[in-house]
Amino acid sequence: MLHPNLLTPPSVIPPPVALQLSQKAPPILSSSPTSSLPWPLSLLFSTESPETWTIHENLFLASLRTGDDVSARKVLDRMTTRFGEHSERIIALRGIYEEALAKNDKELEQVFQGYEKILREDPTNFSIRKRRVAVLKSLGRIPDAITALTVLLENSPIDAEAWAELSELYARQNAWGQAIYCLEEVLLIMPNAWTAHAQLATLYYLSASAQSSNQLQPLTLSLRHFCRSVELNEYYLRGFYGLKVVSRKLLPLLSESSTSSKRNNSEDDDTPPPKLESVKKLEELATSKLAEIIRQYNSRTQGWTGFSEAEVTAARELLDADGKIER
Amino acid sequence: MAQPVVQTIHRDPALFWWILLPITVVMILTGILRHYAMTLLQSAPKKQSLPQIRQQRSLVRGFNLRQNANVLTPTSFQARKAYMVSSYQEGKFLADPESRGKPRPNPMSDPAAMEGMMGMMKGNMAMMIPQTLIMGWINAFFSGFVIMKLPFPLTPQFKSMLQSGVGTRDLDVRWVSSLSWYFLTLFGLQPVYNFILGSNNAANQMAQQMGQVNPGAGLMGPEQDPDKLFLSEAENLEVLQHQWILEGVEDRLLAKLAV
Repeated sequence: MLHPNLLTPPSVIPPPVALQLSQKAPPILSSSPTSSLPWPLSLLFSTESPETWTIHENLFLASLRTGDDVSARKVLDRMTTRFGEHSERIIALRGIYEEALAKNDKELEQVFQGYEKILREDPTNFSIRKRRVAVLKSLGRIPDAITALTVLLENSPIDAEAWAELSELYARQNAWGQAIYCLEEVLLIMPNAWTAHAQLATLYYLSASAQSSNQLQPLTLSLRHFCRSVELNEYYLRGFYGLKVVSRKLLPLLSESSTSSKRNNSEDDDTPPPKLESVKKLEELATSKLAEIIRQYNSRTQGWTGFSEAEVTAARELLDADGKIER
Repeated sequence: MAQPVVQTIHRDPALFWWILLPITVVMILTGILRHYAMTLLQSAPKKQSLPQIRQQRSLVRGFNLRQNANVLTPTSFQARKAYMVSSYQEGKFLADPESRGKPRPNPMSDPAAMEGMMGMMKGNMAMMIPQTLIMGWINAFFSGFVIMKLPFPLTPQFKSMLQSGVGTRDLDVRWVSSLSWYFLTLFGLQPVYNFILGSNNAANQMAQQMGQVNPGAGLMGPEQDPDKLFLSEAENLEVLQHQWILEGVEDRLLAKLAV
C-alpha cells in the first residue's frame, strides 16, 4: 500500500492513517514556509509553493481529527497570516476549528450563529453554507439541514458534493424517492462515478425492501446500476457484493413472475425486468469475482491489497452464508 | 566555381560587453518588473451576486443534463426535461427577470463593464510605456551597430528581421544589428521568464495579447443575453435523443467478464 502523504491524502482516511498524518506536524511546523529575508530577496529565495498550503490544510484537518488542537491552531494561524482573515477558505477552516473545539450543543449553537452572521454579510460564501449544514446535522436537526441544503442547491445546482449529502440526509429520513432523485443529479454531474452508481443501486435496493408490493422494478434498477458500476470498475468489491445480494433477491421474484403469466409487462415497459438466465449468470459471476478478491487479498498478492479490510470480511461472510444454504 | 566570399567584419570585443549584454539584461529586467507591476495593478475579480451565480449554474445544469442524460431512466429523464425546459422558457433562473426581453444596455454606461475596460487599459499601458522608452533608448545609443554573427547561414528573407537599422544591401544575413537584437529579445524571452517567474507570469506582451482576444471565454460573457442562452438550451434539450445506458447492461457485463 502506498505511504499516506499530506499532499494527496486518500479519499477515505481511516483512524490509523489520520494519526500517522497528524504526527507529521512537528517537522512541518518547525520550518517556516515563508522566507525570513527582507522584501526583494524573499521573492527570490522563497520555498513557498501551492503544495505547501495544500499540505498545511490537510495537516490541519488531520490534527483536528486526532485531537491535536494545538498544532491545528498553529497551522490555522499560519494560513491566516498568509491569506488574510477574509479569505473564503480561511473563514471556512476557522469554522471547522471552532466546530471541532465545541464541547456541547450550546457551543455548537454559537458557532452556528456565527455562520448565520457571516452569511448575512456575504450570501455567496458556499463553503460556509456547507459548514452550516454540517453543524445542523451534528446538532441532529436533520429537517433543518435538508432545508438549508435545498436552498444551497437552488442557488448552485451543479454541486455534486451537496447533492450527495442531501441524498444521504433524505435516505436517513427514509425518503427514498427524494434520495434517488438527488443521487441521479450526482450522476448527471459525474456520469462515470462507479461509487455513485453503486450508491444509487443501494438506494433502490433499500427502497425495494421498504415497500412490500411490486419490488421487481426497484430491484431491477438496482441490479442494473450495480452492473454499471462494476462495468466501470472491474475490481469494485462493493459493486459485486451488491450484485450478488440483489440477484439473489431477484431470482425467486423473477421465476415467480415468469410462471404467473406476463401480467405487468405492459405497465412498466420502461424498465423491463432482466432475463432469468442473465441474473443467474450474474450471480455466478459476482460469486466468482468475490471469491477471487478474497483469495488474492488473503494471500497478499501484489496489487490486490488495496481493499478495505471490513469490506473483504463482509464479502467472506456473504459467501459463507451462501455456501451453508447450498450445502 | 569560385568560393563564395566569406565576409569578415572585425568587431570590437567591447561591443559584446557594452551593447549585446546590456540590451539582454535590460530586457529581462523590464520583463520581471512588468510582471510585478501587473500583479500590483490587477484588481481582484469582482464578486458575483447570488442570483447571478444561480443563473449561471442553472445553465450549466442544463448542459450537464444534455450531456449525461444517458445515465437516467427514460421516465426520470422525461420528468427532468419537462421541468428544465419549462423553467428555462419561463425565465425562472434569470438574475433579473424584469429586464427580460429588453435590449442589453450600452456597455459604456455600465460601471462594471467600465471597470473591466479600465483594467485592460492599465495592462496595455504597462506594456506600452516601457516598450516605448526602451525602444527610444536603444535607438539613441546603440543604433547602427552590427553586434553579432549567427553561426548558421540564412536565406535573404531574414535580412529585414535581423538587420533593421543597418542600411546595407550586401551585408551577409548572418550579421545581426543591435536594433534587431532588441526585437529578438522582445519576442523570444518568454521561456526565460517562465524559468524565472514561473509559467503563469505576466511579463511578456505576446501572451497578454493572446489572452485579450477572448477575455471572458466563459459561458456567459457580459455581452450575451442570458435569456437567449436559456431559450436555446431549452430547444437543445427538447430535441435531445435519449438513450438509456443501462439498457442491456447485464448482457454487456456478462459478455465482457465472461470467463
